[in-house]
Amino acid sequence: MEVNDVDEEEFGFSRNYFLAKELGTSGEKSTRKLADIDLVDEQELRTAASNIEPKHEKEIASLMNSYRSLYSKWVFELRCGFGLLMYGFGSKKALIEDFASTALTESAVVVINGYLHSINIKQVAIALAEVLWDQLKSQRKSSLGNLPKVQQPFNSRSMDDLLAFLDGPHMGVDECYICVVIHNIDGPGLRDSDTQQYIARIAACSHIRMVASLDHVNAPLLWDKKMVHTQFKWCWYHVPTFAPYKVEGIFFPLILAHGGTTQSVKTASIVLQSLTPNAQSVFKVLAEHQLANPDEEGMAINNLYTICRERFLVSSQTTLNSHLTEFKDHELVKTRRHSDGQDCLYIPLTTEALEKLVLEISQ
Amino acid sequence: MTPTAVAESPKSDNAENNLQPFFVLHKASSRKFERKSTGKTRRRIELSPSSPKISEKSEAEAAEEFDDQQYEHLRNEAFNYVWSKIESSIKDVLRNINIDVFNDIHRWVHESFAAICSCGMPDHNKVSCSYPIVTDALSKQLFTGLVFTKNMEFVDDLSTFEDLGLHLKSHGCHVANLSSLDFSTKNGIGGCLRGLLRQFLMVSLDAADISILASWYSEQRNYNSPLVVIIDDMERCCGSVLSEFILMLSEWVVKIPIILIMGVATTVDAPTSILPSNALQYLSPRKFNLGSPAERMDAVIEAVLVKQCSGFSVGHKVAIFLRNYFLKQDGTLTSFIRALKIAVVQHISMEPLSFILRGLHDEEDSQGLWSEKHALLPEMVFKQAFDLPSSRRNKLAEPNGEIWRHGLSELKRWQKLWSSVVLCLYEAGKCSKITMLDLYCESLDPKLYDSRASDHNSGLEKDFRMSSSDRCVLEQYPSLHKGGFIWQAIRKVRDLPAALLCQLLKSWEKHTEGHNEIHEKVKELQFLLKFEDGKCLKREMTDTSKRPTIRSNSNMEKDAKALNEKAAALIDDMVRNYMLPIECTPFHEIVCFRNVERLQSALIGDPRRTIQVDLLELHKFLKCCCCSKSGNIPLSSMHDTSILYMLAQEHGDLINLHDWYQSFKATMLHPSIKVKQRLKLSPSPKKRKDANESQNKSEASIQARFCRAATELQITGLLRMPSKRRPDYVQRVAFGL
Repeated sequence: MEVNDVDEEEFGFSRNYFLAKELGTSGEKSTRKLADIDLVDEQELRTAASNIEPKHEKEIASLMNSYRSLYSKWVFELRCGFGLLMYGFGSKKALIEDFASTALTESAVVVINGYLHSINIKQVAIALAEVLWDQLKSQRKSSLGNLPKVQQPFNSRSMDDLLAFLDGPHMGVDECYICVVIHNIDGPGLRDSDTQQYIARIAACSHIRMVASLDHVNAPLLWDKKMVHTQFKWCWYHVPTFAPYKVEGIFFPLILAHGGTTQSVKTASIVLQSLTPNAQSVFKVLAEHQLANPDEEGMAINNLYTICRERFLVSSQTTLNSHLTEFKDHELVKTRRHSDGQDCLYIPLTTEALEKLVLEISQ
Repeated sequence: MTPTAVAESPKSDNAENNLQPFFVLHKASSRKFERKSTGKTRRRIELSPSSPKISEKSEAEAAEEFDDQQYEHLRNEAFNYVWSKIESSIKDVLRNINIDVFNDIHRWVHESFAAICSCGMPDHNKVSCSYPIVTDALSKQLFTGLVFTKNMEFVDDLSTFEDLGLHLKSHGCHVANLSSLDFSTKNGIGGCLRGLLRQFLMVSLDAADISILASWYSEQRNYNSPLVVIIDDMERCCGSVLSEFILMLSEWVVKIPIILIMGVATTVDAPTSILPSNALQYLSPRKFNLGSPAERMDAVIEAVLVKQCSGFSVGHKVAIFLRNYFLKQDGTLTSFIRALKIAVVQHISMEPLSFILRGLHDEEDSQGLWSEKHALLPEMVFKQAFDLPSSRRNKLAEPNGEIWRHGLSELKRWQKLWSSVVLCLYEAGKCSKITMLDLYCESLDPKLYDSRASDHNSGLEKDFRMSSSDRCVLEQYPSLHKGGFIWQAIRKVRDLPAALLCQLLKSWEKHTEGHNEIHEKVKELQFLLKFEDGKCLKREMTDTSKRPTIRSNSNMEKDAKALNEKAAALIDDMVRNYMLPIECTPFHEIVCFRNVERLQSALIGDPRRTIQVDLLELHKFLKCCCCSKSGNIPLSSMHDTSILYMLAQEHGDLINLHDWYQSFKATMLHPSIKVKQRLKLSPSPKKRKDANESQNKSEASIQARFCRAATELQITGLLRMPSKRRPDYVQRVAFGL
């Protein structure tokens, strides 16, 4: 009987898939263009997006409230050594932070915003070690123990050492842990397998408890059985909130904003601020050139390299190229063929937007 | 310090923190200790029945007081007790399973070490020269133990190899455990060397060099014992890095007596398929075999759930779920253990009386401490206990301490009987390879028990003594769920040859110890068997002198058969009368976890399905009156993303953005009319009026809502954005739930 159920399900699944395929290929395929819609200006779209009137506010609030009764259970599970994994539709950021700040006051809480694009997991581990160190110190004081001196500052230690510190037995302190909250553990900044391995190793440390949220339907594919069963030790919770993904969605291009080709000043400046000062300066050189020569198609790479070298921003073509790759990945810079046949670089922003951006990153 | 830390803690809408990769939400407050201590003292006062306070308090108030703080502490205690018991008995079981192999490996390590030493012991003085000079090809041989795990799931063996490492360490070897992660192309040979140095020398060095290891080994205190390197899953290593590692070790083996142990999941030719021949030639392999996962599973079930090391048990449905999860879904013991742990946690956090588990199980505790504790239990606990369905069903009399105590000891007694019978059955079924897992699940089935019991009552009048001529004894026991594992096991008893029967009875004697009523019968049978044996022996002796008669032979067979029948009747009797599934005893709710849905949802999240259901049936969660009537038609009152996803269901694998947007807009503006019609028709004057009414929903806001909904679908992974090749289409990812 069970087997039949599974078969049935599988059959339904494949049928759905092929039906959908058929719908897509045969029959009259709609060929309308996005441009047929009377699209509003991007700036207006963004303003409107930030002013969307929420629906079902009351119901969402009561739904959130209903989860509060689970808090004590969650704390119990954390204490028993499990990790909590929250999933279901809607932003769970507010829910988890509310849980952490009301029910987890006895331990330190470190929040990782997985929806951001650049997260350095080593920096996180350093911060965790420092927080744990503080917590151990303050607890030792109350139990009159003495802590051995730290031999080496945390930020110069290797990842293995940091993990050993987070995992290691610390005499005289029982049940001392810090809680790591990860919003969107499947987010773009954490999605690669190395980072997931490190997160799993952090989760497995004896002084760490993890609470994470997951939004992508295929997220479990990030983990193998070792990570799931022995490191994360997840307890799954289905907690749909239907709250808007406000922060989580910041970095996604608006689908109606001219096909998502132009970057807004805001996202560009956030990306730039996450880069090194040198990289920012390289970008500024390019921006200044574009602002000074608004009619030109762009700046030749050789030209850019010479200026950057003169200003001691880069030491070799390779460094410049690595900066440029980063810019291109974030669509801050594009290349096109100059009229004289040379490839040249340009920033896909309007002059006003570019001026604003330069102002913002110079602050 | 505390108040400032709390005050500093940022609110969730703090924009600054939202754009930080990470931040500290708050530090630990030191209130923890204060509160704990006050809570404890207060509890003691309130709990003591002699205190006048409690009688003054209203019952509800007292109940609440008891509920909040005390439970938290008691629950933690109960969990720690139960889980530490289970965990340690699992560890013991696995250690016992592996101990023979471990000893073999240890012996081999020492033989190999002796062989290396005989080739020329590493010399102090030579160590200082940067590169060892090896002339003899034989002395480059690297002793390699291949440990076959018989298990494709390497998770289960991680702990085995850890244990092996500890075992060898305790016997004086230097041990380093490496995993396939150390042999990645990214880190190269440096990665595994760093790992080695880290574990042998306890230092982490940036410039890893094997000569450091050599000079470390030459130090006096490290000398004279072999270095063992364990790689737990060889097949997942990068072949080129591993072969480089082997070549390097073989060059150095005269200086550093390294012995390799590698876990292999598949077959003996795994090394040949991974390593090139120039590395292979240096390996001098030896094979070892670990127990199979099914064997381990059976041993764990026996120790944890049948022998009940902790007093915690699970109901029939949960057992079936665990079995299916192991056999069909995950297949690892590790996942089974995790599931069990979740079951314990869920049980303790859901069942208010579960904290009694500890007192109930711990023998010493139950005598002294427990009765004292028990005396402190407030009235309401009794109330709760006698409110349990199982005790109501059994119509227990007025709740009082005596009945409660009696009920609990009965619960324990039945559990012990049940476990003895299951163990006896397992012994019987061993020859026909009936697994403990199957037997265990069947023995827990309350329905089967009920049918057995009803049958027993109707058959009471029947004469149960069997005539030896009756060939189909078991036809008399139709209740035994023919084809079931219990039935098979009993049938097996009937066909057992005398020697095996004797062994079986011996094991039964052991398992039934403490239950006099059964134990006596087993002894009786044993006596009969010995008597038979004696007779046989006598007869044989006389037969050798006299000529054997066919009659006496057939008599002997008959007698032996009769014994088998008796044994079968006995075990059948035991199954019928003493194997009471836990769910049929009063108060079982206290120790028995039965909520299979809870376990399943905590163990296996199914985001792919659930997130889609969230979107398609959101009114079930929001419980609003406006959206529930719609069926599958999107309404404007619904969540934007929900509308968009519902509309997406009407498309094929590609969704034309323009059409999608138009139907979204139409839904937002005219909720009641079918989407498709409106796409083609020009709006009639009446509708135009509607449109005027909803003017506040300007074009911009609808477009913004559309954008945000699309972004949210993208975050959930249900949608792929337009590509350069198809700028006007988005792609659906999930088809069906």
